[in-house]
Amino acid sequence: MCATWPIPNSLQSSDSIQEGGPKVNALSGRLVPPNTSDFILLKEDHTLGNLLSEHLKQAPHVLMAGYKVGHPNVPEVMIRLQTDGTVTPREVLIDTCKQLIAAYGQLGREFTREYELRRMVAAGEQENGGKP
Amino acid sequence: MEYDTMMMDGESLGPSVKISAADSTHVDFELSNVDLSFANSLRRVIQAEVPTIAIDLVEIEVNTSVLADEFIAHRLGLIPLDSREIDQLNYTRDCDCDQSCGKCTVTLTLHAKCSSDEVMKVYARDLIVGIDRPNNHIGNPVITDPEGQGSLIAKLRKGQELKITCVAKKGIAKEHAKWAPTAAVGFEYDPHNKLHHLDLWYETDAVAEWPKSKYAEWEEPPAEGEPFDYDAVPSRFYFEVESAGNIEPDAIIQEGIKELQRKLAGLIHGLGENDDMNDTYNGPRSPDGMDGGAPWQDQGYTTPYAGAGNASAWGGGGATAYGTTPYGNSGSAGW
Repeated sequence: MCATWPIPNSLQSSDSIQEGGPKVNALSGRLVPPNTSDFILLKEDHTLGNLLSEHLKQAPHVLMAGYKVGHPNVPEVMIRLQTDGTVTPREVLIDTCKQLIAAYGQLGREFTREYELRRMVAAGEQENGGKP
Repeated sequence: MEYDTMMMDGESLGPSVKISAADSTHVDFELSNVDLSFANSLRRVIQAEVPTIAIDLVEIEVNTSVLADEFIAHRLGLIPLDSREIDQLNYTRDCDCDQSCGKCTVTLTLHAKCSSDEVMKVYARDLIVGIDRPNNHIGNPVITDPEGQGSLIAKLRKGQELKITCVAKKGIAKEHAKWAPTAAVGFEYDPHNKLHHLDLWYETDAVAEWPKSKYAEWEEPPAEGEPFDYDAVPSRFYFEVESAGNIEPDAIIQEGIKELQRKLAGLIHGLGENDDMNDTYNGPRSPDGMDGGAPWQDQGYTTPYAGAGNASAWGGGGATAYGTTPYGNSGSAGW
């Protein structure tokens, strides 16, 4: 087996600009607006890309967020994030990640509770049904 | 729903779950109070990234059956193996061993020879599972049929023989579908198509021609002449998860959640979140401060870092390498 991409994600981040006018992106050489960062997540796909960009859009101080998977065969996703300058894109991204971890944690607890509840109800019904 | 009366909202905000049906291989539930991307990421992760164990290496010593070696190898790979408590098993690439060991692989052997005039069927139950494994159920072929035979592997005629050694490894369905924990996942929202995410084809009337989903009665149908709401977003999602048998359906969901949290935590780590360390130079951030690699070493995004991304040695140990190795110290050289 040659594929090795499901290894936990590592991350690249291109140059970003906090203050001053447009600068040139260190990786791509293109012009980027201020307070903007491109994050390249290696070995990740739409699962994280869409999740993060949709939630980043809802975060305060975010002007723009988007993602792309450049090519289906290239296991990386690029997330571009622009803020209004009061916070850095990196801080917003970290905050959003933390919120999502908490939200999924809550979903896990909620699911366990419902599942156990259901199991108890099913067991109760079986007991009652077994008696004539 | 009969459980409505028992709903005691511990956490009124945030995701909520209502299970409508569940048995040993299925769980159907409604996920509400979340957005589409949140629900879809859960669907994607349970279909593609929950780890299971499957046969990955096949050594064929004798094959005098009518089937080609690679054909049998493929069939063996697709046999569901018990993957409960998969956390106890390492990925082979992350394991300390040279090639394979009891901590990262399970060995299954098969030896069958037909000696009668009748056609002999070889089933998954005929696989003999090696004893060197983390617990005594991982890697067992999943057998759910009443006869207790499991999947059919091959048929042998008189004199034909199969002698095979298989090595089962941990993996995820993104690499090969044989590692999928789910057989099918239903994912549905907006049964009345109020949001117009679907453009239904029709002869004369879409409503009359398209059958209603069973979830249609769970939601209010659109009122007569109701104007289209441009701002509406879906918030109730109907999942129907079917397990392939290797993990229980509820465990698939829990493992999926764990996997997503692992990914997000890995991202936070990759961004160099390390509160006490960053606060010291957090003030007027230089642009390069954003770079995940920069705080650690000047190498930042030059080749070593980019290279490390796909080198498995780094990828696997990534979580701990920064904290424990000398790199942890060089990080504090920031001040």
